[in-house]
Amino acid sequence: MKKYLTRRGDGVRIEMTDDELRADFESGIQDAAERGKIDPLSNEDLDRLMDIFTDPNRIVGVEPGNEVPLTHDIGTLRLMGDQGNSGVGIPLSRVHGIQVHERAFCSDSMELGHIDYSFKPIKPVIAMEQQEYENAQMCTIIPLLYGAMPNLGLYYAPDGPFGNPSDLLPAGKVKEALEAQEQAVEHATKDMIYISEKLANVGCDGINFDTTGAAGDTDFAATLKAVEHLKKTTNLAVQVGMAGEFVLGMHGSLKYNGTRLAGLYPHKQLELVEQAGADIFGPVVNTKPSKSMAWNLARAVTFVKACTAVAKIPIHVNMGMGVGGSPVFETPPIDSVTRASKAMVEIGRADGL
Amino acid sequence: MDKKEWFEKAAKTVLDADQEAAVKVAEEAVAAGINPLEMLNQGFSEGIMRIGDLFDRGEVFLPELIIASEAMVAAVKVLEAALPAEEHKEKLGKVVIGSIEGDVHDIGKGIMVTMLRVYGFEVYDLGRDVPIKSFVDKAKEVDADFVGSSALMTTTQVGQKALEAALSEAGLRDKVKTMVGGAVATQHWANKIGADLYAETATEAVMKLKELAGG
Repeated sequence: MKKYLTRRGDGVRIEMTDDELRADFESGIQDAAERGKIDPLSNEDLDRLMDIFTDPNRIVGVEPGNEVPLTHDIGTLRLMGDQGNSGVGIPLSRVHGIQVHERAFCSDSMELGHIDYSFKPIKPVIAMEQQEYENAQMCTIIPLLYGAMPNLGLYYAPDGPFGNPSDLLPAGKVKEALEAQEQAVEHATKDMIYISEKLANVGCDGINFDTTGAAGDTDFAATLKAVEHLKKTTNLAVQVGMAGEFVLGMHGSLKYNGTRLAGLYPHKQLELVEQAGADIFGPVVNTKPSKSMAWNLARAVTFVKACTAVAKIPIHVNMGMGVGGSPVFETPPIDSVTRASKAMVEIGRADGL
Repeated sequence: MDKKEWFEKAAKTVLDADQEAAVKVAEEAVAAGINPLEMLNQGFSEGIMRIGDLFDRGEVFLPELIIASEAMVAAVKVLEAALPAEEHKEKLGKVVIGSIEGDVHDIGKGIMVTMLRVYGFEVYDLGRDVPIKSFVDKAKEVDADFVGSSALMTTTQVGQKALEAALSEAGLRDKVKTMVGGAVATQHWANKIGADLYAETATEAVMKLKELAGG
């Protein structure tokens, strides 16, 4: 039986037959449907996935008319950073990096981000970030967001003032862990609002809250509060991108508008992001490195399609290393990236990547 | 009330994370002549297994899991007091665990530590960004049965391979079983570097460890 070259979730090249591919599609779809309590993909979608995987070309693309905007988070780091930062080590300034994305890579939007890429360390250098943002705006025309991670981990010991729930919880100090997290939410919300307002003052187009939920439900809670405030008080556009497909319950009881945050999957995260007033939502579906790309991508598309089916705002899916069906690999292989992108747009109905 | 009903009642107190009720049920069962060891293994332990499943499915969360485990620990104290000394349940094994050098990600490792303690392992949590030497030193110091390392990034994953070599160099590799975890780890990776065990979730890891420990 004919075998097709594909990838495992860790990027290793593997070969699979039609039957093996179909079995992994079905298993991935079922896993998403069961976990998220969402509709599985249709048979027609499954056939489409098969076409994409069995296309003999190394690179595939969407059909004319199906193109979507391509936006980038901290893309400048991908140029400046070395391999340890998933970058290519070219010494460029951040403004040059943004210009390269606009003029050479044809990005539809871009963002400025600090090397630490978390809100907390930006606070003491916000004046420099305002200046850099203004400089970048002067020499580009694409929408330019400012991006950073809520990263509540930086508010816990040893990096911050509050006890670390990852230490307190295993030690059985539940009350202390919950209190530390509630305090962190309060401080992080204030910091995110402060930094965003400062950027709004220099004409910033918008803020990208990137990898929201990385430290669990507290991370998501702080972001939603900050977004709600900013949308009521500024003209900033807001994008909320997630860290993972599932909101970890490190606190477990935090709610937003009456909905418990822990345990939410993308289509439910979207509802709260919309309620907070955000303009774009970036769902994440994690790649399991031990499963095939067929399993991972079918699963990711199932989650995303459940989002786009109910979304009132554009859905710009996170695609790249270890998310959106792409392998967990520093520079994901082009055959897998293009297949994942095509499937996400043409089957998942993503509005942007 | 027959035995089955006692066991179900015990499991429910753990599922409800009700420490007071767990202690009361344990005391009543002992008074009613139910074998304490059976009550532990088929009642309270069953409750922890069920809550572990709910945790895996994302239906309960870490704080709830810990409160439930505290209910079980309180009940176990009552049951152990009623057992002859030779039947006291021993710890399943000593586990030295940490996030590998250079990696500050520790949420998953924290969940793993919690689950190991819940299921009765003696855990030495070295924290995050742990130098390879610290794993080796601690394993030697406490005479560990298992050494587990977690890596979230491909750039730090190589430390798990270095740990295997360091344990061999220290003459410990045949004495301990090693396990690797974290977002980037796979069974393929475990095989490649010679680790004994890989698991995708904390619950799966604990079950595999229990099997190795004969618990």
